This record gives sequence, structure tokens and C-alpha cells, in this order.
Amino acid sequence: MESASVALGHEHEQHGPPPANRSSRVDAQLLGMLLFIISEVMLFGAFFSAYFFIRVVAGNDWPAAGTALPIAVAGCNTAVLVSSSLTMHWALVSAKNGNRFGMRAGLLTTFLLGATFLAVQINEYVHLGFAIGDSAQATIFYGLTGLHGAHVTVGLLLLSMATIRAFRGHFSPTEHRGVEVPGIYWHFVDVMWIIVYTTLYVL
Amino acid sequence: MTVAARLRAPGWYRAMLSVPLGIGFAFALVVPLRALSHYKPVVDGDAITTVALISTPLAFLIGIGCFDYWFRWASGAPTVPEDHSGHGARSWRDYFRVNTDHKVIGIQYIVTTFVFFIAGGIMAMLMRAELAAPGEQFVDSNTFNGLFSVHASLMIFLFIIPVFAGIANYVLPLMIGAPDMAFPRLNALSFWMLPMAGILMLASFFAPGGAFNTGWTSYAPLSVDMPLGQTFFNVAVQFAGASSVATALNFLVTIVTMRAPGMTFWRMPLLVWANFTTSLLVVIATPFIAGSQFMVLLDRALHTDFFNAANGGDVIMYQHVFWFYSHPAVYIMMLPGFGIISEVISTNARKPIFGYRMMAFSLMAIVILGFTVWAHHMFVSGMFPWLRVPMMITTMLIAVPTGIKIFSWLATLWRGVIHLRTPMLFALGFITMFTLGGISGVMLAVIPVDIHVSDTYFVVAHIHYVLFGGSVFTIFAGIYHWFPKMTGRMYDETLGKVHFWLSFVFFNLTFGPMHLVGIDGMPRRVADYAQHFAFWNAFISVSSFFFGMSLLVFLYNIVTSWRHGPKAVANPWRAHTLEWQVSSPPPIFNFDEVPTVVGGPYEYGVPGAVHGVFKEKPAVKEPAVAAD
Ligand code: HEM
Ligand SMILES: [Cu+2]
Repeated sequence: MESASVALGHEHEQHGPPPANRSSRVDAQLLGMLLFIISEVMLFGAFFSAYFFIRVVAGNDWPAAGTALPIAVAGCNTAVLVSSSLTMHWALVSAKNGNRFGMRAGLLTTFLLGATFLAVQINEYVHLGFAIGDSAQATIFYGLTGLHGAHVTVGLLLLSMATIRAFRGHFSPTEHRGVEVPGIYWHFVDVMWIIVYTTLYVL
Repeated sequence: MTVAARLRAPGWYRAMLSVPLGIGFAFALVVPLRALSHYKPVVDGDAITTVALISTPLAFLIGIGCFDYWFRWASGAPTVPEDHSGHGARSWRDYFRVNTDHKVIGIQYIVTTFVFFIAGGIMAMLMRAELAAPGEQFVDSNTFNGLFSVHASLMIFLFIIPVFAGIANYVLPLMIGAPDMAFPRLNALSFWMLPMAGILMLASFFAPGGAFNTGWTSYAPLSVDMPLGQTFFNVAVQFAGASSVATALNFLVTIVTMRAPGMTFWRMPLLVWANFTTSLLVVIATPFIAGSQFMVLLDRALHTDFFNAANGGDVIMYQHVFWFYSHPAVYIMMLPGFGIISEVISTNARKPIFGYRMMAFSLMAIVILGFTVWAHHMFVSGMFPWLRVPMMITTMLIAVPTGIKIFSWLATLWRGVIHLRTPMLFALGFITMFTLGGISGVMLAVIPVDIHVSDTYFVVAHIHYVLFGGSVFTIFAGIYHWFPKMTGRMYDETLGKVHFWLSFVFFNLTFGPMHLVGIDGMPRRVADYAQHFAFWNAFISVSSFFFGMSLLVFLYNIVTSWRHGPKAVANPWRAHTLEWQVSSPPPIFNFDEVPTVVGGPYEYGVPGAVHGVFKEKPAVKEPAVAAD
């Protein structure tokens, strides 16, 4: 490395940087997604703290007197979401094996199942019979399910991008991160729902 | 370029177009919704502003071009190979664009945060002018409340936290031998979210009812009942928080996946360790403040009952959630500074860091313990009484790893060949001032003492000893230390020393007496006070004006040296870490060839020691016989 070329650093532009050393076997995008999920879990943690204080510390009735939560409907909805995790997995495995049909069908069904979940949830909101400002219990119920619903929406957005790219002929057995990374997020959204469902409806 | 092309290309023209669209979006969303739900009035200023506060900054970010690449990707367009067109700066104009070069972003960060530092500083001067004598001088008490709230929020969320991210943005990839950060576009987005947050906070002064005035802590239910200005704070914190999480994630991935060959974790400079641990704190803790502000926002906008005790809400919950972030946040504001001090001290004492591994372990210990002490801010809040003593004990415990670091720096200085340059002076000033702040911290951890001095000027003294004498001194040390690397020019040493001594002396004259009036019972966050405190307050105000002036010396030095200072050589401090082995400023892609790391970063005075080598040119090497 001659010092002249260092001083005229801009001359090197066209060449681009030397490839960075890979100091870990972990893929950068996967690691990024995992860290993002950790911070998402903590965001849910903040709302679960609110739930804990409202239900346990303040000792309010659960659910608020005169209201009921549709455990059965939400339970079926849980099944819908869990099955979407399976189809997501199918899509990824197909992508890795170069099975284009499986990948496209898997992504599409995952998307449709997720959209169904969201629709059922919105329908539930309409028929619950209590509003977000009625009581602290209502607030945290809508708060947690709404936060989760927002995550489903983001997940659906990511899935729709992956689906569009899949139908436009992207992804291959060697290059399938665009399926894998949204997939991880989707599984997270799923697991989070199971926790939300258990704490809000079942317990 | 034609006008139409300008409006389509990312940049300021498109941003000027998208901002009104953002505001229009708020109208288009709120007005029909209110009409449909039969709310009166249909056009409601507060509701529209609340939505606009979120949609307008987002519209600006879209307009300036933060999302272009991702939009392309999302639409399924073929991936374009990176042409590095958004990389590097050729003129000052490139600093006003979405740039993906970590060196450009670092400087964007530092300059932006200093602008907010100055804004916050001016507010501090106004407050001290008001407090110079009992009674009302210049501002009424509502304005005063706005001043201290915006002052504190700017200093914490727009200066100390992000300026460290800026310094690390510049030097961290260089230090680990990486060509850039792991996610350069995310990095650019992180930067551009910051001015959004700062402008929102400043803009709150123009809101009806004045700026938000519940302090940087924004306790509910007070913050729920405050006028519109409060919403500016709630939203601004979301932008600042998102920026800080995205940067932290970027640092973590960069450190894990992009270190140069041979750069094991135990060969990383302590600045890298410090940012690694800080980033862990940010990723884990920041969502809690986001959550707390979302809840306040919901209570304000949708009249939910998180903090409405009449409907079963819990107000103390706010403080738990808030401090679960904000205590770790004090370490977010301190650990990167610890890293800077380690670099500066070992380089300027020409000695290896004493107990390098212990330094890294104590950082990790602080990260873990930092999550177990939050309720020491709540001793007088009426929380569970049984939580007090455990929190007192953990708080005292956390002083142990902090103390380890202090002793390690002292041991590094011991028999070193000390070069008293400006960064070193600030580092030594930091050690003394931060120790004092740590001692008042341990005093505050003692429950009976805290009950006595809670919400008095003693707390104000404590936070300024740790935040100004601590964090800000490390920032100055870091800016002077890396100034030659960042700008390619040397700063003026004499002015630097003048700046240090002025700030050191007037810092103590300003904040030292606050301990006394605090123990005497002068409450914090009030515009007026008893006659009894008049003398010391006049004294503090005068000192604070001189203290404020000392910053002018710094700014003059930086501006003139940046423009006309003597050219800097690659390695003016004869340091070993990798950023000093490339030219000043570094070439556009940092390294023409990735170096190989063969030894520790601080082997000063160890005969024959090297840290990194290039294939063709060895990096600085200590002489076979120690010459210092
Ligand atoms: C040995 C280390 C430390 C200990 C034991 C300690 C302890 C405490 C305690 C007990 C309080 C609560 C006082 C009250 O509100 O009554 C407090 C307040 C505070 N501390 Fe520390 N502290 C330490 C270090 C730091 C550091 C390193 C920072 C920042 C860099 C910091 C920033 C603050 C701030 C900002 C407050 C005031 C919060 C408010 O607005 O109410 N502290 N500290
Ligand atoms: Cu604390």
C-alpha cells in the first residue's frame, strides 16, 4: 500500500471496498433480525409489566366485571396462526431445495392464514362489547392484542414482499435469505401470540 | 436537472414536497374518522397535531431518501449491485444527503448533536439567569418548567446518547478493521431520525400551552393532563429511541461479524468493548421507554386508562417501566465514555491498560447489574416498601465494577510516561469528577439519605457530576483525541488546554455548591426559592455563565482548526489501534487491504509489540528498546 494512493483515497472509488473479513459464521442479517426480535420482546415486556400491575398489583377483576372474552373463537384463531408457522417452514424448506412451487404456495398460504387471523381479530374487536377506554382491564387487553396485531401487520407486509419477490422469480437454493428472515419474524409473531393468548384469555 | 426530476430524486426538494403531504395525511386521516364517529369538533387541532407529529417526520424521511432502496426491494425489482454512489463526501453538500459512509454519518451525528448541545446550553443559561435571584426575573414559572424539561431532554436524548453513537460510528469500524458498518443504509436512517426528534422537542415551545414541562422523566398522570406540548415529547422520544436501537443493533452485528482476521474479542480495543456492552443495554432497555411513552400517548389521545386510577389504572407502573429503561440509560450515557477514556489514557500514558480483561468483565457486570437497580429512583414514590432495601443493596453493588474501572485507570497511569495533552487533561478531569459523582450516587442509594435529599439540588449536583464531569468530559476527550483522524488537521493545543481549565474550574464552581443548597433543602425544578438560598444561587449563576463561555473557546478552536489547522499526520499520538494506521482522514473505504491483528491493542512500551499488520507495510511498532 503506497502512501500516495492513501492520500488520494477518492481515486479508489470505482473499485469498492476490500471485502470485509467474516469473523463469525453467523449471518449478519440473521443476527440483526434476532437482535431486533429481542428488542421487540422487550417492548411486549413493557406492556406485560402494565398488565401485571393492572391485574395483579392493583388487584382488579379479570376480565372487568360485566365483560367476557371469547376464549373459544380466539382459540381457533390461535390454531390458524400456528398453522401459518408450519406453512412458513414449508416455504423455507422448499426454497432451500429449489422447489419453486412449494416456496410460492407456502408463502401465499402463510400470508392468507395471517390475513385471516387479522380479520378474525378485528371482527372480535367489533363484537367484544367494551371499548378501549372503559376500564384499565379493557385498556391493557386492547393494548396487548393491538400491539400484537400491529406486529402481525408488519409481518404480513414483510411476507407480501417476500411473496412478490418469489413470484417474480427471485430466491434460489443458495440465495433464500429474503424468505428466511421474514420467516423468523413470523415465527416470533406466532410465539408471542401464544403468550398473549395464554395470559389474556386463558389464565 | 429539471424541476420534475428534482422532485422525483431523493433529496431536499422531494422532502419539501413530502412534508406538506405528511401534514395533509394527518388531516385526511383524522377528519373523516372523527366525522364517522360523530366526535365534535370534527376538525380538532390536538388530534390532527398528534397524528401529524408522527406522519410528518416519516414523510420527511421518505422524501430525503432514507427508504428508497427498501421500497425498490419491496416492489420486487431486481437487486442492483451496490454502486457506492451514496458513499463518501466530496464537498460539504454531501453531509446534507442520505449518505451510507460510516465516516460521513459519524460526522453528521457529531455536528448535529453539538447543535442540540448548544441549544440545550442556551436554555441552561436562561434558567440560571432566572435563578440568579429569588422571585421572578425573566420567565414565568410555566416557561421555566418548559426550559428545564427541554434542556434535560435535549441533553440526554439528543446529545449524550447520540454523540457517543456518532464517535463510535466514525472510529469503531476502523478500529476493528472493517470497511463500513454491517448495515450502511440502516445507519443512515438512524442518523436522519435524530434531527426529527430534536426538532420536535424544540418545536414544542410553539405549541399552545408552551413546551412540555414535566421534566425529562415525564411522570404520569401529570404528563397525561398536560397541554399539547407534551405530545411532542412523547413522539420525539420514539424517534430518538428507534434511532438508538437501530444503531445499537448495527454496532452489535458489525462487531460480531466484521472484525479483521486475528481480532479476537480479547484483542478488541476497550472502546469497542464499551460500545458492544452499551449496545446490548440499548437493544434490551430502550423498548421500555418506548412502551412507557406509547402508554402516555394512548392515555392522552384515546383516553385509555393505563394511568387513570379511577378506572383501575396504576400510576406507579409508569415509574417502574420508565426507570427500567432510564437507569440502564445512565450507563448507556457512561459506558462509551469509559471506552474513550481507556483509549486516551493508555495512549497518553504510554502504558498497557492495567487489567484489560477485568475492564471488559466489569463492563459486562455493569450491564447485568444495571437492570437490577431501577427502583432506587422511586424510594419516595410509594412503591412496594419491601423493594427498597434490595434496590439499595444492588445499587451499592454496582459501584464495585465502576470502582474497578477507576482503579484500573489509576494503575495504568502509575509510572506511565504521561503526555498532558488536551484529551488527557479531560480524561484526568473525568476521573476526578466522575468519582465525586459516584460518591454522591452511593450516598443517594442510602435510603434515609435519599429520602432527605430527594428532589433537591443534591440530585441536580449528582447528575451533573456524572453527566457533565463524567460523560461530557469523555466526549471532549474523544473529540480532541480523534479530531486529527476525522478532519485531517490538528487542533490548537493551547486553546484546548484553556478550554479544559476553564471548564474544570467553572464546572466545580457551578455544580459543587449545589450539593450544599441541596442538603439544605432547596427543591429542584422550581423557578423561585427562599431568600435563604439567595447567596449561593447568585454565585452558581455567575459561575455558570463563565462555564457557558468556556464552550465558546472549544467551538472557536474546532471551527478554525478544521478550516486552517496544520495538516495531521496519520498517527500523531503514536497509537497502536487500527484507526491510526491509515491516513488522516482515512481513505474512502478505510483500508485498501484488511489488516491482520497479531497482538493486543495497548502494548505501549512493550518492546517489539504490534497490534495490526498490513501485508506490505507494518503498522506502528514499539521500538525494540522502549524509548519513551
Ligand atoms: C456509582 C454509580 C451511581 C449510583 C450509585 C447512582 C445512584 C443514584 C440514585 C440513588 C439516584 C436517585 C436520586 C433521587 O432521585 O432521589 C440517582 C439519580 C440520577 N443519576 Fe445516578 N448513580 C450512579 C451513577 C450515575 C451515572 C453514571 C449517571 C449518568 C451518566 C447517573 C445519572 C443519574 C441521573 C440522570 C439521575 C436523576 C434522575 C432524575 O431526573 O430524577 N448516575 N443516581
Ligand atoms: Cu439510577
